[in-house]
Amino acid sequence: MKKYLIALLVLSGLCLKAQTKELGKVTIEELKQKTHPNDSSAAAAVLFEVGRTSFEYSQTNGFEIVTEVLTKIKIYKKEGYEYANKSASYYIGGSASEKLEFSKAITYNLMNGKIEKTKLGSDGEFIEKVNKNWARKKISMPNVKEGSIIEYKMTLRSPYITNFPDWQFQRDIPVSYSEYTTYVPEYYVYNVRNKGFLSPVVKKENTQNSITSTSKERGWGVTTKFDQNVTNYKELKTNYVLTDVPALKDESYVNNINNYKTTVIHELAGERFPNRAYENYATDWETVVKKIYENEDFGNELNKTGYFEKDLDAILKGSTSLEEKMAVVFNYVKARMNWNEYYGYTCDNGVRKAYQEKTGNAAEINLMLTAMLRYAGFEANPVLISTRSNGIALFPSRTAFNYVIAGIELNNRVVLLDATDKNALPDILPTRDLNWLGRIIRKNNSSAEIDLMPKSNSKEVMYIMANVSPEGNVSGKIRDQYFDYNAFVFRGVNNKVAKDSYVEKLEKRHQGLEITDYAVQNNNDLSKPIQEEYSFTSNNSVEIIGDKMYFSPFLYLAMTENPFKQETREYPVDFVYPHQDKFVVSITVPEGYAIETLPQSKSIGMPDELGNFRYNISSNGNQIQLLYTIDINQAIISSEYYESLKGFYKEVVDKQTEKIVLKKA
Amino acid sequence: MKLILLKRSLMKKSFTIVFLGSVFFTAHSQTMDLAVSAIPDSLKLNANSVVRLSQLNVTILSQGSMTLKSKKAITVLNELGLRDLDLMEYYDKNRRIAKIEATVYDASGKGMKTFRRKDFNDMSVADGVSIFNDNRALFLDYTPITYPFTMVLETETETSNTAFIPAWSPVDGYLVSTEKTSLTVNFKPELHLRLKEVNFSAKYPIEKTETPTSVSYTAKNIIARKREELSPIFMDIFPIVYFSLENFQLENVNGMAVNWKDFGKWYYDSLLADTEEIPLVAQEKIKQLVGNEKDPKEIARIIYRFVQEKTRYVSVQVGIGGWKPMLAKDVDKLGYGDCKALTNYTRSLLKTVGIPSYYTVVWSGNETRDIQNDIASMQGDHVILAIPDKSGYLWLECTSQTQPFGFQGDFTDDRNVLIIKPEGGEIVRTRTFAESDNLKIIKGSYAILENGSLDGKVKMVSKGLQYDSEFGKERLAKEELVKRYKEEFGNINNLTVNKISLQNDPVTIEFTENLEFKAESYAQNSNGKLMFALNAFNQNSYVPKKYKTREFPFEIQRGYTNEDETEITIPEGFSVEAKPNGMELSTEFGNYKIEFSVTGPSTILCKRKLVIKKGLFDKNNYENYRKFRETIARSDNSKIIIAKK
Repeated sequence: MKKYLIALLVLSGLCLKAQTKELGKVTIEELKQKTHPNDSSAAAAVLFEVGRTSFEYSQTNGFEIVTEVLTKIKIYKKEGYEYANKSASYYIGGSASEKLEFSKAITYNLMNGKIEKTKLGSDGEFIEKVNKNWARKKISMPNVKEGSIIEYKMTLRSPYITNFPDWQFQRDIPVSYSEYTTYVPEYYVYNVRNKGFLSPVVKKENTQNSITSTSKERGWGVTTKFDQNVTNYKELKTNYVLTDVPALKDESYVNNINNYKTTVIHELAGERFPNRAYENYATDWETVVKKIYENEDFGNELNKTGYFEKDLDAILKGSTSLEEKMAVVFNYVKARMNWNEYYGYTCDNGVRKAYQEKTGNAAEINLMLTAMLRYAGFEANPVLISTRSNGIALFPSRTAFNYVIAGIELNNRVVLLDATDKNALPDILPTRDLNWLGRIIRKNNSSAEIDLMPKSNSKEVMYIMANVSPEGNVSGKIRDQYFDYNAFVFRGVNNKVAKDSYVEKLEKRHQGLEITDYAVQNNNDLSKPIQEEYSFTSNNSVEIIGDKMYFSPFLYLAMTENPFKQETREYPVDFVYPHQDKFVVSITVPEGYAIETLPQSKSIGMPDELGNFRYNISSNGNQIQLLYTIDINQAIISSEYYESLKGFYKEVVDKQTEKIVLKKA
Repeated sequence: MKLILLKRSLMKKSFTIVFLGSVFFTAHSQTMDLAVSAIPDSLKLNANSVVRLSQLNVTILSQGSMTLKSKKAITVLNELGLRDLDLMEYYDKNRRIAKIEATVYDASGKGMKTFRRKDFNDMSVADGVSIFNDNRALFLDYTPITYPFTMVLETETETSNTAFIPAWSPVDGYLVSTEKTSLTVNFKPELHLRLKEVNFSAKYPIEKTETPTSVSYTAKNIIARKREELSPIFMDIFPIVYFSLENFQLENVNGMAVNWKDFGKWYYDSLLADTEEIPLVAQEKIKQLVGNEKDPKEIARIIYRFVQEKTRYVSVQVGIGGWKPMLAKDVDKLGYGDCKALTNYTRSLLKTVGIPSYYTVVWSGNETRDIQNDIASMQGDHVILAIPDKSGYLWLECTSQTQPFGFQGDFTDDRNVLIIKPEGGEIVRTRTFAESDNLKIIKGSYAILENGSLDGKVKMVSKGLQYDSEFGKERLAKEELVKRYKEEFGNINNLTVNKISLQNDPVTIEFTENLEFKAESYAQNSNGKLMFALNAFNQNSYVPKKYKTREFPFEIQRGYTNEDETEITIPEGFSVEAKPNGMELSTEFGNYKIEFSVTGPSTILCKRKLVIKKGLFDKNNYENYRKFRETIARSDNSKIIIAKK
């Protein structure tokens, strides 16, 4: 006797109440509207976006996540036409594929006072197989003009219950109404997180749902028997509404604008099925850490040592001090391994293979580094981080992180190391890593927050010795030293570039400048600061007007434009790392001229010691001396200080461009 | 991407890659020493990479069948040379990759690792412009483990598109040297292979051998060149051979063309003739819009506006759709299309009211590149529309919803293009804008206050290509516009723009900007004296890069004229202590004059005129041009000093 089981899915108790926001209800008033009421410059606006994510059960696939989104967009201007094209990616690479569908896609126009509807046909829909794991569906709405309204429904069906979509309330155009409702069965626990500056109104409600499975039993062609099994379960309904969401606009000196986009994020925290133990994925950092450790591409890989032991024994021979050992191991990994530019905290090919091939992703390189440091006797542990491009890791979750580095616990502090960059040093990390907080994972499964941001100011010190000629030309020598992050950035940019093209670039940046005898030291000796030395002549630094000469003691190096031009600021200003620039200038006045006026010495600070500059100028006979330092003491300066910051830089520009006046004697 | 830890381990097993580490193609490398030490020093100079060997064999088996066999060995000397490694091969429905394999060698020339077809990634070639195209590629994502290294890539592809025989140059690019490079084209004489050699010179010795069924070129020991500012485009300075077949095939359609006339006729008959149908409703609509208008130019203006209002640019490139426009009636229905579709739609609409216009193929972009005029073949990357006019042609850019009628801008100006008429093709030059056409007139005034602030207003009128670069401001959101002005007047710190009024006249093609603004600390105060640059509104600080020795000629692609007049008022009680003298220059590159005259007890007038001429100049004149621009930059920034009486 054969037994067929056919699963039917009935979603009861979910009867949708008549929604206020439905597709197909376009009015003449909406079509007539010429500009957005709250943002007259908007090229387009989302009139509403209403989404629901629920779980559907089938006996073959189990629960699947189904997300439906209804979108209605008003196009105001031609610049907004891009919002009439929509594309979405879906995963096709695993044992089961996601399915994506667009439907009810219609463009509405006003034609002679009447509403004209144009449906999207199959000729406006395209499927692109991006690669073996991803496909993309794209629609291009027909008949779009200024004033059109477009609508569509998108349905994404995913067998991956970890793949709960993020709901973004905010876009780069205004959103009048954004509503999202989730229906989560009692079997799943999700951590729900909100990101951004705006808070949606949240309503929660417990509801009921059920799975009805029908089993069909067939006898020997005589009778067919149906059995219905109904399983009732609780469901948590959560509803989010946010109205009149302003467009998200990018600004200069912003780390990653997505950090500020109002979004609700769901992360699977646990599974609670009847007759099974509770499976905890991530509710707190301890669990997150445990789960990550249990991942075979993380913990197992970290514990392997056989592949390097012999090599490491050989190179460690003779090193005795801790510093020496740390340097030996770190330099060995940096020299041997080549980063393939893939992020991730799990290995792709494994540390052993990566070691053999001398190529790996961030996890392979830095887990290998951690393992070697442990082998060399250090208390070394992986530090999970979220790179700048990934946004800030705000909440305990596995997906908050996308990268791993190494941390050594030494004398009550943690030294951070990332061997994916050849120019990195202990506590000098590639700038992609400098993103607030990371989390160190210790062997006993405990973990702790680690501040990734550099604390001390990276220095640049410039010594200038210059002579002004009676013709107003300036010649002299410059020694420029770059420390810490300044050196790291210098090496990253300039070590790849040929020397003479670097000099050409410098000459091009400063009009009338000629550089000779250019030499740079310590490009590859990371233990020392970068030191540039050159001779220069500049025929554009001094202005002769009448019988007087005017020039800034910074010569051609004065900052002439305020980098902060916006009137107001929404988001923090990100300098990446705190820094200090220092100028030590000595200028010889030409014969036949005398100093008429020197600028006044001046010091200015920003509130709360965020930054300051000190400008000290003096003269002695025909010599002028300037000692100038500017400090920016924090990598990130919050927007409430923007006024002060902008004002501070105005003073910097004014002071740096202020002129010394010489008079013909 | 946020995805799927739970299923990850499963996925991983099925995609484990096993490299076969020990088999290398010794048979080929016997003849070649791939050791880096074998590269002559002269080829390492200025080079990030060295082409050790490049062999391309093109065999045209029939009108509809061609194979391309390529073997290329490149030594990458440093990280910057990585971009010269082109580890990618394209394919599509009519182009098949029969073989692809790469082997990497270390500095001593020893084989390290071979990558086979399965090691290459398969991906769609999203070109960033098309919403969809069906081109794909296999590419190798290689992370170098040490420099220098050598990569040998061997590929074999088969295609039916004999309309595209690759052009060949012995030079791979800037900062790349070449040890040996060769091309052989084998063909059937009855298909008539044509070729055109450009920029051949003694500087690049090229050996050529010919038989009745083949032609080949070989070049050796070409040193690396550096790119120089203002040098003409690559195609205008390096040797290139272009090929075409008189009897060719494109996406399974046969073609025959000896010259541009034939080629254009074929193009029209095969790709355009059957696309012109316009639905009756649209025809009626057009007739209605045209009404009683009789002037063909005005009718065309009406139809162009109709197209601009009705359609938008969306690129869809599929199969022959990559070459053949979407049907006009489909554009009418969908309201979008790519350059071919929108141009052809406009053409078809014009045809319904009896106005002739021609589909025109062009190389687009800010750099002017010509369709090679004496070798008829598939060329170009963009399509515009030509409408015959008394003085020649009017050019319409049909992908733009905002461009004025008959104004093409610098995207397609001043170059040879292919006009396709039903009776055949023709090479024509698009409009050349003279320096007097590209005119910007600035009239302004400002007062300097006692505290050094500036308070001023300015009116700017732009024409020609200067119009092209400014009229987009009309469509910017307010804050974007303010940001743009702050950049445009970057020489004025602390600028606040109080009033903006813009007028766009698309008929006369004139864009007028009226601005009022203030700026703190424009004048620098030192001991009660104020110092500032008089020419506040149009400082040109461009100075080209200095070269100790220059190799290539230089080109000013477009000329322009600026005429400025600014009246400056100084605070009461102040007098001029020192005033700049002004400057006048007249050169073969253009003319410059700036004058500063005291017109009253507290007013100064600054008059300025700059004319930059278009032209191609010998490299020996470069330093003169640089000096010319340097003097302009300095004079534009001339400062005045005023002091309290």
